[in-house]
Amino acid sequence: MSEAKVGVKRPRGKARLIEGRCIACGGRCESACPVDAVEMSGSGEPEIVVAQCIGCVKCVKVCPAQALEVVFTEEEKRILEQLARESGADAEDGDPEARALAAKLAAYRGVWVFVEQTEGEPARVSWELMGKGRELADTLGVPLSAVVIGSHVEELCYHSFCYGADQAYLVDEPVFRHYRTEAYLKAVCRLIENYQPEIVLMGATGLGRDLAGAVATVVGTGLTADCTGLGIDDRRNLMQTRPAFGGNIMATIMCDKFRPQMATVRPHVMPLPERVEGKSGPVIRVASGVKEEEMLTKVLAVVSDRNRDHVDVAGAEFIVSGGRGMMGKENFVLLQELADELGGVVGASRSAVDAGWMPHERQVGQTGKTVRPKIYIACGISGAIQHLVGMQDSDLIIAINRDPDAPIFEVAHLGIVGDLFQVVPALTERLRSLKQKAPETAACSNG
Amino acid sequence: MSPNPQLFLLLLILSASAFVIGCYRRFSLVALGRPEDRLDAPGTRFARMLRLAFGQQRVLGKPFGMNHFVIFWSFIILAAANAEFVVSGVLPQAGLAALPAPLQHALLFLFDLVSLAALVCVLIAFARRLFFAEPSLSSDYVKARSPEALLILSLIAVLMLAYFGLHAARIMIGMEDPTAMPVSAAIAALMAAPLATDPTAVATWSWWLHALALLSFLAYLPQSKHMHILTAIPNCFFAGLERPNTQPREEFARGMRFGAGRVDEFTWKDLFDSFSCTECGRCQEACPAAATGKSLNPRSIIHALKTNLLANGSSLRAGETPTLPLLANASDTGPGEGSAGDDAIWACTTCGACMNACPVLIEHMPKIVKMRRHLVQMRASFPEELSAFFENVEARSNPWGIAPTERTKWHANLPVRPFEQGKTEYLLYVGCAGAFDARQKQVTVALATILDAAGVSWGTLGKEERCCGDSLRRLGNEFVFDRTARDNVKLLAERGVKKIVTQCPHCFTTLKNDYRQYGMELEVVHHSELLAGLLASGQLELKQRVAQFGTVLFHDSCYLGRHNDVYSAPRQVLATTTGASPAEFVRNAERSFCCGAGGGRMWQEEQEGERINLNRVKEALQQKPDTICVSCPYCLTMMEDGLKDLQGGAVRVKDLAEVVVEGLRA
Amino acid sequence: MLVVVCIKQVPDTTQVQIDPVTNTLVREGIPFIVNPYDTHALEEALRLKDRFGFRVAAISMGPPNAEATLKKALALGVDEAILLSDRAFGGADTLATSRVLSEAIDRLNRQEQVGIVICGKQTIDGDTAQVGPGIATRLGYTQLTLVDRVEKFDPFQGRITVRRKLEGRHETVEAPLPVLLTVVRELNRPRYPTVPMRLESEQATVQVWSNQELQLDQNGIGLKGSPTWVSRIFSPQREKGEIVGDGVADPAGAAHLLVDKLVSRDLLVV
Ligand SMILES: Cc1cc2nc3c(=O)[nH]c(=O)nc-3n(C[C@H](O)[C@H](O)[C@H](O)COP(=O)(O)OP(=O)(O)OC[C@H]3O[C@@H](n4cnc5c(N)ncnc54)[C@H](O)[C@@H]3O)c2cc1C
Ligand SMILES: Cc1cc2nc3c(=O)[nH]c(=O)nc-3n(C[C@H](O)[C@H](O)[C@H](O)COP(=O)(O)OP(=O)(O)OC[C@H]3O[C@@H](n4cnc5c(N)ncnc54)[C@H](O)[C@@H]3O)c2cc1C
Ligand code: SF4
Ligand code: SF4
Repeated sequence: MSEAKVGVKRPRGKARLIEGRCIACGGRCESACPVDAVEMSGSGEPEIVVAQCIGCVKCVKVCPAQALEVVFTEEEKRILEQLARESGADAEDGDPEARALAAKLAAYRGVWVFVEQTEGEPARVSWELMGKGRELADTLGVPLSAVVIGSHVEELCYHSFCYGADQAYLVDEPVFRHYRTEAYLKAVCRLIENYQPEIVLMGATGLGRDLAGAVATVVGTGLTADCTGLGIDDRRNLMQTRPAFGGNIMATIMCDKFRPQMATVRPHVMPLPERVEGKSGPVIRVASGVKEEEMLTKVLAVVSDRNRDHVDVAGAEFIVSGGRGMMGKENFVLLQELADELGGVVGASRSAVDAGWMPHERQVGQTGKTVRPKIYIACGISGAIQHLVGMQDSDLIIAINRDPDAPIFEVAHLGIVGDLFQVVPALTERLRSLKQKAPETAACSNG
Repeated sequence: MSPNPQLFLLLLILSASAFVIGCYRRFSLVALGRPEDRLDAPGTRFARMLRLAFGQQRVLGKPFGMNHFVIFWSFIILAAANAEFVVSGVLPQAGLAALPAPLQHALLFLFDLVSLAALVCVLIAFARRLFFAEPSLSSDYVKARSPEALLILSLIAVLMLAYFGLHAARIMIGMEDPTAMPVSAAIAALMAAPLATDPTAVATWSWWLHALALLSFLAYLPQSKHMHILTAIPNCFFAGLERPNTQPREEFARGMRFGAGRVDEFTWKDLFDSFSCTECGRCQEACPAAATGKSLNPRSIIHALKTNLLANGSSLRAGETPTLPLLANASDTGPGEGSAGDDAIWACTTCGACMNACPVLIEHMPKIVKMRRHLVQMRASFPEELSAFFENVEARSNPWGIAPTERTKWHANLPVRPFEQGKTEYLLYVGCAGAFDARQKQVTVALATILDAAGVSWGTLGKEERCCGDSLRRLGNEFVFDRTARDNVKLLAERGVKKIVTQCPHCFTTLKNDYRQYGMELEVVHHSELLAGLLASGQLELKQRVAQFGTVLFHDSCYLGRHNDVYSAPRQVLATTTGASPAEFVRNAERSFCCGAGGGRMWQEEQEGERINLNRVKEALQQKPDTICVSCPYCLTMMEDGLKDLQGGAVRVKDLAEVVVEGLRA
Repeated sequence: MLVVVCIKQVPDTTQVQIDPVTNTLVREGIPFIVNPYDTHALEEALRLKDRFGFRVAAISMGPPNAEATLKKALALGVDEAILLSDRAFGGADTLATSRVLSEAIDRLNRQEQVGIVICGKQTIDGDTAQVGPGIATRLGYTQLTLVDRVEKFDPFQGRITVRRKLEGRHETVEAPLPVLLTVVRELNRPRYPTVPMRLESEQATVQVWSNQELQLDQNGIGLKGSPTWVSRIFSPQREKGEIVGDGVADPAGAAHLLVDKLVSRDLLVV
C-alpha cells in the first residue's frame, strides 16, 4: 500500500479491434484518431498501429458497432487496480465547454410534427407522428406543436388537436398549394428560426424526406432518416432508431450537440393514436414571406396512380400474383378484387402468362419484372427459383398454396396452406368488412 | 474426233478462264479471313476426309443420301471420261483410242453404266425437288426449286443424254463397239429402227451439246452452290479435329476488336466453310431453333456469311468498310440476304445438332458465338434479360444474384464437407443450380447420399465455389468468362484438386474442355460416369431394384452427349438400377433434341415460335413414359415446365441420381 | 455544360448476413459494389451525354479503394472521375458528406458550368436519401427528388421537366437549370460496358482530391462536422416464416387471422 508512489502514470492501454464486429462504417475510428494510429484495410476494417496508439479511446467512443476496445497488459491492469483503490474516480463534469453547450441547447424547446398534405388531404403518417410526438413531449414536459403548411389548410390544425397537438403553427398561402421544396423549405426554416423547437418530426415519405433533407442542411443540424423507434435518454436527448444496411442492422442515432433534433419516421410503424373529437388549441398564423414570382419550379400535373391506365408491376407497392394454381383466366378476377382492396396490381408467374391468362408485362421473375412491393401475395405459385429472383426483395411476402412443401413457403413471411379459391375471397371479404367498420377520417368540428 | 478443234479450243479457253477467275475471286476472299492453324495431325485429317468426303458417311444418313452418293462417285469416275472428251476435242488423235483395246473396252463399259446411274439419280433428284421436296430443302433465300439447283441438274442430265447420243450415233456409224456399251447400244438400236435418225448429224449435235454442257458447267461452277464440289473435300480435311464443344480464347488488349461483327473478322476457315455449304438443309432440320419456328436457321447463317463476303469482297480488299452489314438489327424488317439478325443470333442453344448433321463438317455454332461476342463486347447489345444475368454473374458469381453465402445451404441437413488437399479424392463441384435451385438441391442431396453410400471421399469448395462461366462463354461474354476461368483455375490449383465430379453437364464441359485452354488438366467426370463406374465395380451396392419409376425414358443432354460423347454411362446406370434399359426418344443419342436451355437460353425469354421444351416433351409423351430421366439441371427445369404446360399428368422428371438413390433404401 | 453524377461505393448488403450465434453482422468476403441507385443516375447522365454531347464527371467520396467504383464509371463512358478521399472526410454523416460533395461540385463548376447534378435516390448502406437534398440546398440548385422519368429537356432554354414518383401518385414538375435530380430504379436500364471501354478505363486515371484541394474547415467535415452519430448497432428481430391458421379446415378463419395480423402490425391500412 505504501509502495504506491505519487505521480505513477495512469496506463492507457492500446486499442484493439474485436473480431467480426466492424461494419465498415466508413472509417469513423480512423478520422477520430488524433495520432493516425488507425489505418483502414481493403475491406474497410481498421488496423491499429500499436506502436502509435496512445490509448485515448477516441476511436472506441465513436465506433457505432462497439467493435473497438482498449486492452491492457497484465502489468498495466495491476497498476490500474491499485490506482482505483487509492482514489475515487474524479468527476468529469463541470467542464465549461459542456456547460456552454447545455445552455445553447436549452434555448430550444418543444416537439414539432410536420403535417404533410397533398391538396388538403393529410398523410396518415402525420397522425401517427402526432401520437409519438405526444409521448415524447410528455416525457420532456414540453408542448407538442403541429406545423401546417399549405393553401386553405387551416382545418388540418383542428385535426391535429384531435390527434394530440397542443398548438399549431399555420402557414396558409396560395404559394403553398402544391408542394415545392424551395417554398416549403423557406417556410419551415423561418418557423424553426423564430420558435426554436428541440425536436422536429416528419414522415419518411417522398415529400417528407425531400423537405427534411433540405431543412436540416439550411439549419445546419443532424437528421436521422426513416426511423422506426424514438425515445428520450436520461439527458433529454432524442434516441432515434432506424434500420440500415438494407434492414440487416438497426442503429440508434444521436444528435446531442445540435438542435433541433430532426428525424423522418417510417409510415405504418408508429400506432395511430385515438382521435379525440372536439379538442382545440391555439393556432399561430405565420406569414412566410415566400413570393410566387421568386419560385423557380412549377408543378404541371399530379396524377394519382389509381387513375393511370397503364399497370406498372415493377413500381407497384402492393402486388397480388397468380400462378398455374389459378386454373384459368377467369379466376384472375379474384385476384383483381383483392388487389383493388389493397390499392395494388395483379402480377403473374410465367406459367400463368404462358397459359395466356395474363400478358407478359405482368410476369414477375427471371425473365419478367423484378418487383419490390411492400406486400407481395403469391397465390397458387410454387416458388420456382426463376420466380423467386423476381420478388424475393419484397418487404413482406405472403404465400397461399395448398401444397405445404411448396418452395414458396421458404421465402414467405406469412403463409396460408389451403385452397386459394376459398382463401382469397375470404381475404377480400375481410378487408372490405374492416374498411366499412373503420371510422371515417371525418373532420373534427373546430370546437 | 472433234468436229471443230479450233472453235472448241476457243470455247474451252473461255470457259476455263471463267472457272479460274471465279475460283480465284472466291479463294482470294477466303484469304481475307484471320489466320488459324488447320494443318495439325494431317494423318487424322486425311483419314477423316476419306471417310466423310469420299465415304459420304453423313450424306448416307438421310433417305436421299444414296442418290447423292451415286452422283458423287459418278462425277469422280466420269471426270476421267470428260477429261478424255476435252483432250480429244482439242487433239483429235489423242483420247481413249490411244489406249490398249481391253482397257479401252473396260473404261467405256464403266462410263456407260455410270452415266446411266448418274442420269437416273439426277432425274430422281429433279423429281424430289419438283414434287416431293422436304421442307428442310428450302430456306429463306434458297428454295428447293431454286433455278440454280434445277439448272445444275439440267446440265448434268444434258451431259448424260448427250453422252449417250454421241456414243449411240458412233455405234450406228460403226465407230465404236456396241458390246462395250450396253446402254448406248440400246439407244443406238432405238435410234436405228423406230426413229431412223441420221447418225452423223446426231453425232455432231450430241458432241456439241456435250461440249457446251460441260463447258457451261465448268464456267458456272464457281458461281453456284456447286462450288462445294471443289471445297467440300478440303473442308472435311480442315475441319476442327475435336468436337467443337468449346470456343477459342480471345486475347484482350487495348485497340483490338472482339468477336466477329464483319466478315473479315472471321477466320479463313469460317469463310471457307461458307463456300462449302451444299445447301442440303441437314443442319436446318436438326436445329431446335429452326424446328420451332425461330428466326435462326444455321444454314442461313452460313449462307449470310457467303453472301456478305461476296457483296463486301471488293470494298474489303480495298481496305474500305463493308457496305452490307453482317449483323442487322432485329427491329428492321428482317435482316435481308447477306446479314444475320439479332434474333437469330440469340436463339441458338449451342446444342451442336447442326454441326453433328453437316455432311461437310461446317462449324456453325462457333460462328454464332463469335457474332455474339461482337454484340456483347463491342456493342453491349443483347436481349434485355441478359443484363441481369451478366451483372449477377459478375457481382455474385451466380446467375440469380443470390448471396454467395447461401451456396452451402443445400447441405443444411448434412455435415459440411470441405475439400481437403491430399485427404479428399473428389471435389464435388455443386454448380449454381445445384446450390441455389430448390429443385436441383434435391439432386445434390441425392448425389451426396450415393457418394457416401459408395464410400467415395468427396468435399466441396463451400462458399468459395463460383460459377463455372459456361453461359457467359456461350453467350459471347468472353471477357468476363476469361476472368472467371482464370480465377477458377487458380483456385482449383491452389486447393490441389485432382478429380472433379459434377452433376451439371455445363460445369462438366466447361471444367473439362474450356479450362484446358487455361492449362488445367484435371480428371473431370459427370456424375453419370462416376455412378456407372461405381455400379460396375460393385463399390456402390444397391439394396433394391428401383421399380417405382415405371417406364423410364432417358433424355440426352447436349453437353453430355453430343458435345462430350457420354451416351452409354447414364443408360448403363439406369439399366443396372431399374433392371431394364431405358426407353428411348425417337431422336436420341447423337441425334437428341435440345431441351432449349443451353447456350444461355436458360436466362432469356422464349417468345418466338413454339417452345423448344414443349416440342421435346411432346416427343417424350409419344413414348408413354412414367418418368423422364435427365442428367442436367437445365433439362430438369425445362422438362418439368414443359410437362406442366402440356398437362403431362402423372409423368415425373427425375435426375439420374434421384433414380439411383431410391435403390439405396432398404 | 457539365453533368455531375454522385456515386457511392457500398458493401453489397444483400450479401450481409447476421451470425445466428453472435447476432453480429457477418461481413467477411462481402464485396463492395456501386450503389445500385447510382448506376441509374450514371446511366441518365450518359444518356444526356449521348443526346447533347455534354461532358460527364463522376464524383465519389470514400476511402482510396473506392477508386474501383469510379473506374467502372469510366468504363461506361464518363469523361472525368474524381475521388474525394481524405482521413478528414471519414466518419461523415449526411450533413458533412453533402458539404464535401457540394464543394467539389462547386470547384468543377468553376472550370465548366454545371447544369445538372444527378444522385441516386438513396444508398443501400446508409439508406438515408439525405445527401441529394443536402447538396442541392447548399449549392442553391433546384432539387427534384425521386425522378422516374425525364419528360422534357431543353438545354437551350435551360429547362427540364421530370416526373416524380411519390406514394400512390406521380407528379410532373418543371424547373430551370441548374438542378439536382435524385433518381429511382424505374428511370432507366443501366448500360453494360463494352470491352474496349473496360480496357480503356483500366488505363484512365481517377483524380484524387483531398482536403488540400477543397480547403474546407476541419470542423465542418468528417466526424467533427457531423451532428449525428451512431451510438449503438444491433440486429433486428428477424421474422421467420409463419403459417397462419389452418387454411385447409378453416380457410375463412385463416384469411381473417392473416388480415388481422397485417392490420395489427400496421402493415396494412384499412
Ligand atoms: C428460361 C426460363 C425463364 C423463366 N422465367 C420465369 C419468370 O420470369 N417468372 C416465373 O414466374 N417463372 C419463370 N420460369 C418458369 C419457372 O421455372 C416455373 O415453371 C414457374 O414459375 C412455375 O409457375 P407456377 O408456380 O405458377 O406453377 P407451378 O409450379 O405449376 O405451381 C402451381 C402451384 O399452385 C398450387 N396450387 C394449385 N392449385 C391450387 C389451389 N387451388 N390453391 C392453392 N394452391 C394451388 C400448387 O400446389 C403449386 O405449388 C422460367 C422458366 C424458364 C425455363
Ligand atoms: C448504420 C448507419 C446509420 C446512419 N444513419 C444516418 C442518419 O440517420 N443520418 C445521417 O445524417 N447519417 C447517417 N449515417 C451516415 C451516412 O450513411 C453517411 O453520411 C453517408 O456518407 C451518406 O449517407 P447515405 O449513404 O445514406 O447516402 P444517401 O443520402 O442515401 O445517398 C443519396 C445519394 O447521394 C449520393 N452520395 C451519397 N454518399 C455519397 C458519397 N460518399 N460519394 C458520392 N455520392 C454520394 C449518391 O448519389 C447517393 O445515391 C449512418 C451511417 C450508418 C453506418
Ligand atoms: S447449335 Fe443447335 S441451336 Fe445453334 S444453330 Fe446449331 S442446331 Fe441450331
Ligand atoms: S451447313 Fe452443312 S448441313 Fe447446313 S445446309 Fe450447308 S452443308 Fe447442309
